[in-house]
Amino acid sequence: MQSDLDTLSTLRDTTIALLDPSAAEAIPQGVERLMLASDKLPVVLAVVLIIWFGLLFLLFRTDRRITKIERELNATDSD
Amino acid sequence: MTSSSRDSVLLPPRGGGYRVFTVVVAVWMTTVLCFGVLGKISNLPILEHTARNLYFHVPMWFTLMLGWFVAAYHSLRLLMTRRRIHDVRAEQAALVATVFGVLGITTGIVWSRFTWYTGTDIWWNGDPRQVMVAVQLLICGAYFVLRGALDDERLRARLAAAYALFATMTMPFLTYVLPRRMESLHPGAEGNPAFSQMDIAPEMRWVFYASALGFLMLGWWIYTLRVRVRAAEIAVNERTTWP
Repeated sequence: MQSDLDTLSTLRDTTIALLDPSAAEAIPQGVERLMLASDKLPVVLAVVLIIWFGLLFLLFRTDRRITKIERELNATDSD
Repeated sequence: MTSSSRDSVLLPPRGGGYRVFTVVVAVWMTTVLCFGVLGKISNLPILEHTARNLYFHVPMWFTLMLGWFVAAYHSLRLLMTRRRIHDVRAEQAALVATVFGVLGITTGIVWSRFTWYTGTDIWWNGDPRQVMVAVQLLICGAYFVLRGALDDERLRARLAAAYALFATMTMPFLTYVLPRRMESLHPGAEGNPAFSQMDIAPEMRWVFYASALGFLMLGWWIYTLRVRVRAAEIAVNERTTWP
């Protein structure tokens, strides 16, 4: 069933490419097929995720610093 | 140099007002995120849903600017007073601001690639604002390279402060004045108003203002958090080095 759909969409793409080569370029491929789905909403998700990863980066770095301070405090307390 | 003659960097514990602020930021940003994803938009061709990126991409730059202005203020204070806490504040403000700047340019690259440059392989489109902001981020990055290259704490504080003032001074020109005079993907190019009545729905304006304020507050929270951690780190180091 899935391969039938694939064959159909390949057939469609080839037909468009033959009839109008400039329109063929407009058929999204690969990552774009995902990003341009549902009126480009995934692009918004990608942007929000990038910001989220940046904030996580700062969070991890700050966390590591606190761990270091705790370790040093523990070391001086046990002296 | 003994520890008694050095000015202390240890900060007093934060009070209830700070905790209220952090809760406000958390609730505020959650609301902005919901309205940003679900709210009404202009729905223009090409742009489609990516118009929502206005709420997430643009505040990154506001935070970059505010952060570096804070860094410049504390750098100036350091040069005037030589108090070490200003060096700590300047460094952390610059760091948080630069991270937001990197997020701004990365989100911009992804946005343009999948909106205006679909069907091409153009990730870097040479937009004047993009290029100039990349230069600005390199200028900002050099601040940390400079800090890393100097071992003497006092010399590092003074030289870094002088450099931070220079880096902040180039920012308005590279991110605002010059790009507005050239043809660009960005609104406000070639002397146009950045926010015209035509292409932004009135509902979007409020979400955008709320988002800008929200990210500035979030940046401030992260900045103060990092200052407190860095100050505690210095205090602990000195306690172990000079008992």
